Amino acid sequence: MKLSTREVQDLVVLEPKGKIMGGPDATLLHDQLHEYIKQGKKKVIIDLSKVDWMNSTGLGILISALTTLKNNQGELKLANVTDKIQSLLTITKLVTVFESYDSLDQAVASFK
Amino acid sequence: MEKPLKEDNRITIPSSLNYLREVDEFVEQKLKEEGVDSGLVTDIAISVTEVVTNAVNHGNRNDLHKKVTVSVKLDKKSVTIQVEDQGGGFDSEHLENPLDEKNLLKEAGRGVFIVKSLMDEVKFETLPNNGTIVTLVKRL
Repeated sequence: MKLSTREVQDLVVLEPKGKIMGGPDATLLHDQLHEYIKQGKKKVIIDLSKVDWMNSTGLGILISALTTLKNNQGELKLANVTDKIQSLLTITKLVTVFESYDSLDQAVASFK
Repeated sequence: MEKPLKEDNRITIPSSLNYLREVDEFVEQKLKEEGVDSGLVTDIAISVTEVVTNAVNHGNRNDLHKKVTVSVKLDKKSVTIQVEDQGGGFDSEHLENPLDEKNLLKEAGRGVFIVKSLMDEVKFETLPNNGTIVTLVKRL
């Protein structure tokens, strides 16, 4: 997995790319998130448009991000959830846990 | 890093998640070469990575001296993947339910549930001399 990051207005957008399956790059997103939290940047969108697929380790990474932000008075939203990821979120009931939007623009707008 | 052993339809890795990507690429390539539908390839790939992760972490407890072997078999009707570890066996019957409210925000514990959701058949066998074989079947 590769991870791109950028800031949109006062929000952070994390854009993982590739397959999220665990292994040596499993801590990339977590480490980057902690850096942003240290800087006081706690409104985060994870844009999943470039994720081919993820397994349960990937879901765990999303949960960890959500929990970390909530514990630091922050927020996490998902954007561009692909069909495969949406089906995994549904069967694991994690659709009830994450706030998701069909586009990055909609996710950004939701913070206002 | 020790190289995985690749035979015709089988890959053997030391017990480290550093090899997960190679296992995925090996399995996906085999399936794509046989013209398996891309959606099915994804479901199988996700499931294989789940089972291999469990074999590495729980079966072989990340012992690099222990191996995980993944074999791929195809016929006209189905794909069968077997993942074998050298660990102490696995009780698949008494796992926590990841859908329970108390487990919903746990970061782990969904792997077997996802595999059972994506695959048509899942079988766990404990071998007589230790080790577990997980057999996954996806109908084409």
